[in-house]
Amino acid sequence: MPHRYEPHGPLAATDDETERLHNTSRDMIPDSACILGIETSCDDTSAAVLEGGSQIRSNIVSSQISVHRPYGGVVPELASRHHLLSIGPVVEEALAKASVTWCDIAAVSVTQGPGLVGSLLVGVSVAKAIAYARRLPLVGVNHLEGHIRSNFLVEPAIRLPAVSLVVSGGHTSLYELAREGVYRRLARTRDDAAGEAFDKVAKLLGLGYPGGPVVDRLAAEGDPGAVPFPTVKMSDGSLDFSFSGLKSSAARFIQKEKLEAETPTTGPEEPPQVVRDLCASFQHAVVAALIERTLRAADEVGALAICVSGGVACNRKLRQRFAEEASTRGLLAHFPPPSLSTDNAAMIAAAGWLHLKRGETADLDLTADPDLEL
Amino acid sequence: MTSAIQPPGLKAGDYESTSPEQTEAFAERLGRDLRPGDRVELLGTLGSGKTTFVRGLARGLGLDPNSVHSPTFTRVHRYRGEITLVHADLYRVDSDSQYEELGLEAEEEASSVFVIEWGERLPPDSPPATLCIEIEITGDLTRKLRVSRGPTAPDR
Repeated sequence: MPHRYEPHGPLAATDDETERLHNTSRDMIPDSACILGIETSCDDTSAAVLEGGSQIRSNIVSSQISVHRPYGGVVPELASRHHLLSIGPVVEEALAKASVTWCDIAAVSVTQGPGLVGSLLVGVSVAKAIAYARRLPLVGVNHLEGHIRSNFLVEPAIRLPAVSLVVSGGHTSLYELAREGVYRRLARTRDDAAGEAFDKVAKLLGLGYPGGPVVDRLAAEGDPGAVPFPTVKMSDGSLDFSFSGLKSSAARFIQKEKLEAETPTTGPEEPPQVVRDLCASFQHAVVAALIERTLRAADEVGALAICVSGGVACNRKLRQRFAEEASTRGLLAHFPPPSLSTDNAAMIAAAGWLHLKRGETADLDLTADPDLEL
Repeated sequence: MTSAIQPPGLKAGDYESTSPEQTEAFAERLGRDLRPGDRVELLGTLGSGKTTFVRGLARGLGLDPNSVHSPTFTRVHRYRGEITLVHADLYRVDSDSQYEELGLEAEEEASSVFVIEWGERLPPDSPPATLCIEIEITGDLTRKLRVSRGPTAPDR
């Protein structure tokens, strides 16, 4: 058996533990119990220990630790292979950092979808194996619900109803949160996600990957009014997003000004002012579209708070503009810190805790669903 | 002049589109002629309108075009209906083994219509496309749509 787990106690439950666990019904899980979260839906492998549904004891993301040292520091080419090699050390690190053993873990929560099926399967299989070996309740979580819950990890008492904008490389969706744990989708993107548009523009300019942080940095030194971008409106008045038009406008400008880089990373180290102006103008247009839709949604549902989550929630201009616009309307704007904005397992543990407390657990036949909707 | 361009079933040819709406309508009519097992490869640079084209295909297959969104990050989307449209994007796929990782199994391909953005990145041993559509940017809104038929393309 995987001896690497032994510092945290043997993985298999002893007879005594099994007896005790069988006598613990779901609603008897104490409010101070620890839940293990596992997230493998995209590029990063993550595991977290959450105590009492809100206290983050650990939140480990594979890119932060040298899990690849045993394999000569080589990052595997395939995402699923990367997860397979990382998941053991990442779970081990999550337990160690939280100073807990397997005996302290009361439930396992895992991302069921959406995502790449091979990547999701690694997390789901590991979670099922742990749940089986430890006789623990298992919870399957929607990745997007995880992002929404990241705001509640920072501020558990967010006023409802609220609107929640999940904005990342893979998703740009708006939800109404009428009551705790009830989500209604109000809008989604009809083409690119906002983070994807940032990345593609950065790639054309040769600014490297991921594109969001570098565009954010360069935009701070540019003029947001220098390059005109169209205002994105849906002809049917829908709240849905569209970013491919902004991306195409940026691509045409880059071509016209001959700013195209030969490869995604060979752009100039100190880009000229015109690149800074383009970044500022493009970012301004993306942020304006996100804010316009979110505020309109907040009006429509009578929201008292606005939540923003996902990797693009790290964007400084987005945070600043949302805070300003929300406060002029007497609304509260909530953002998670960067470590909880990008993909992480603490948010999956938080969402799992909510389901666990409602008695919504999965059987061991839980499967990954790459197209899971919220 | 923005008269609709008529695609002649699954036939090869060059077409001029004057707007994204016209491109989508062109793809919609093409979508009506697609059957499970068909593979459509889309080629064209960033911002040429590949996802817009897929919206049209979805509509033609009787699916909700608003469920279509870019699979660049997530790599594969499936829009389910009477015929399922599998929408793959190879923008972030750099090798043949990464392509295999997408898990696009043969049985799924046989029961679904399959559309692949950045089709130029497909492994050389992939099944031949039914249709290949190259989208060229000719102006802010105008596009040239070059439709070519694969060796196994049926006459419809």
